[in-house]
Amino acid sequence: MVNWWQGDPILKAMDVATVYPEDYGAVCAAFGAAQAYLEGAEADGFPAHMCGYARNCLGYTARMIELGEIPPEAPMGGMPQPSLLLASGALCDARYKWFQALGRYLDAPLWVLELPHPGVKEGLMEGAGEGNIYFIAQQLREFISFLEKLLGRRMDWGRLDETVDSTMEMNRWWHRANELRRARPCPMHSRDFWSSMPASLYMANDPGETAGLYRQMYDEIKSRVDNKIGALKAPERYRLAFLELPPWHSLDFFNQLAERGWNFVIESWAYHPPRPLDLDRVSDPLERLARYSYHWLTGYYPKANQAEEWWGYFAYPYLEYVRDYQCDGVVLHPLLSCRTATNHLMMVRDRLMKKLKVPSLVIEGDIVDLKLFDPARALSQAEAFEETMDHYKKLRKEAGLGW
Amino acid sequence: MAQDRGMDRAKAIYQDRSQRAGELKAQGKQVIGYLCAYPVLEMMTALDLVPFRILGDMTEPISRADACLPTVVCPFIRSALDLALKDRYQFLDGVVMAHSCDVAEKTAHIWHSYLRPPYFHFIDTPHTTGDSAVKQHKRLLKDFQKTLEQLAGRQLSQERLKEAVKAHNQQRALVRELYGLRKPDPPLISGVESLEVMVSLMSLPVDEGSRLLKQVITEVRQRNSGPPKKPARLLIWGSIIDNSSLIQMIEGLSANLVMDDTCVGSRFYWPDVAATEDPLDGLAHRYLVALKCPRTFRQADPNKASKDYQADLEYRFGYLMEYAKEWRVNGVILQSLRYCDIHGYEVPQVKDYLNSLGLPAIYLEYDYSQAALAPLRTRVQAFLEIIGQGNF
Ligand code: SF4
Ligand code: SF4
Repeated sequence: MVNWWQGDPILKAMDVATVYPEDYGAVCAAFGAAQAYLEGAEADGFPAHMCGYARNCLGYTARMIELGEIPPEAPMGGMPQPSLLLASGALCDARYKWFQALGRYLDAPLWVLELPHPGVKEGLMEGAGEGNIYFIAQQLREFISFLEKLLGRRMDWGRLDETVDSTMEMNRWWHRANELRRARPCPMHSRDFWSSMPASLYMANDPGETAGLYRQMYDEIKSRVDNKIGALKAPERYRLAFLELPPWHSLDFFNQLAERGWNFVIESWAYHPPRPLDLDRVSDPLERLARYSYHWLTGYYPKANQAEEWWGYFAYPYLEYVRDYQCDGVVLHPLLSCRTATNHLMMVRDRLMKKLKVPSLVIEGDIVDLKLFDPARALSQAEAFEETMDHYKKLRKEAGLGW
Repeated sequence: MAQDRGMDRAKAIYQDRSQRAGELKAQGKQVIGYLCAYPVLEMMTALDLVPFRILGDMTEPISRADACLPTVVCPFIRSALDLALKDRYQFLDGVVMAHSCDVAEKTAHIWHSYLRPPYFHFIDTPHTTGDSAVKQHKRLLKDFQKTLEQLAGRQLSQERLKEAVKAHNQQRALVRELYGLRKPDPPLISGVESLEVMVSLMSLPVDEGSRLLKQVITEVRQRNSGPPKKPARLLIWGSIIDNSSLIQMIEGLSANLVMDDTCVGSRFYWPDVAATEDPLDGLAHRYLVALKCPRTFRQADPNKASKDYQADLEYRFGYLMEYAKEWRVNGVILQSLRYCDIHGYEVPQVKDYLNSLGLPAIYLEYDYSQAALAPLRTRVQAFLEIIGQGNF
């Protein structure tokens, strides 16, 4: 399960291969295979309003256990039976409750990593940040002791040190590549972002190799910027942000919007790597990891505090994104089955309008459940929203907001 | 009736929760609202601040909250926020929230942003229960102490905190005593009355609440107008119930609700705070480890190389068996508010456990509205028939 670079480098350094069921949920959705698994989970008593990834995984696992093998219809070869479940308390409840519920089907041990989520003011209290970082590092140490027992081998600390460094190197290039998207026209569309970000977020590959890949991407995007090549075939008429999780089963929707000149230039905060952080002087790799993940979540807090914005992650960063990437509008995608990616959307819409005069379009849907997303209806709103974006562009100019 | 003064008072407070808070404020007290079961009450009490539980109102349609909290989240929390946006919590001098669940955590920031209470503190309660998490929790409580001291304008001494621990433990003991009066058949007090008492306790300073409880306990022991005997003795488990209509619907059928595992009920009051040299140790442990809400991750043996599901269920839900035995329960209602992930994931697992005990259970999901209760009634009725026939 995604753990925002807390546990993955540790697993890598101990030669544990990782499979991410939320990523697989998106795969099942894209292949049209999710529906049967969702129904399976429901038949087992899991309420239908819960996370689509989780229900897909629970339904899939129930079927795998029933068959005694990977279900033949499973897309891309399916997911194997795990020997360890690594859950995380970061961002949502599903991400530990779901793995706990897998105990109904699997006898794999389960470990939960913690990531503190202080409020802005509380996180900035004297000693709070250091205390939280100490707690994360301590938890990672406990996780390593558990892994050593489970696997019957010791951690190679030198290797962990290198893995942590290459993880950060990987994300540094990925961050730089995304910074280039501020250019007009924007050289990379969210669709390309979504297909590239799994390498950073789901660390299934070697982070050193991924760093090389992201570096190549950086070079390619840079040359597009230098040559003023945009991501769209059509001229870039509108620059947009997309919040939060996309409808993986209906990505063609974005191509249709692209034909209208809608360029999605920035997206979900939680999919983006942390802004670079200088950790050269921190010799303990676990402390580096702890500082890094904590910085990902709380790195915006000082500025949020100055702006008197009390939701410092997931809400405040969009004020910066929309301003820095000069967005004309924002598409909000509330999910019936994911509180975490939905809770903040109304507040963000309100803040963007009040502070930056940027309008939002709300399109309800789901990440996995096809039934909940209606692309035709969403597209029918595009024209009216263009008028709204034009209107607010004028108002921003009048207010001296700069784009 | 003069002899029911305590019960009547509890009912009156249940019906108008803010009235006493207003009187206390007029006497110069500061009233602090808190959401869910995780803000540490003893620390407020010790500084002479009055903790006041923030609840929703099922009878009030949600209108204002739509603008800042989407419809796909816990309707209880949306209702609570809606009331605040309609100034129904205007009397609060401050608000404390905790990371009880994802939505509560996020709502804390929304509440802070939109309502801007004069004092606000968020406790980022950890999810796990190991030693490092308990230490982290204690550190967070120290930060909470700092901001509370600033609000109260004085230092919190260990002695005062220990006294507050005692006072709250005493109230918990009284609640357990009151719940004990539901063990006889028929129970001496109904589920509806019990909920009214719980809600009233959460609206009063601890000592005043305990005095009320004593009075209620005495009255209940003496009265001869308790609930009638009925074939089903039920336990209700699940997400928050702060309005008696669901229970009223169940008790209107052939069932007595004799025990609960919900957070305006036994879950909130059951565990005591251990007397520790530094009271923050006892508090950090009680609120993180001893309080048994599914929002906290616990498992039988975290260090084992494989999982024994049944052992895990015993570890997590074993207390339900004790409840079932002591309160002679013959059926369980599992209920969850729609969009409550914490309880939603738990349901099939609690069902597995109850199955292993041979206890019949039914799952109800509802959306915190009176309208939702009518269809549920039919389902509960069918369930009670099954219990009546012993067909499980
Ligand atoms: S953030 Fe949402 S989609 Fe992701 S795991 Fe949690 S509930 Fe599921
Ligand atoms: S009912 Fe569920 S979602 Fe609502 S506050 Fe309680 S745990 Fe959270």
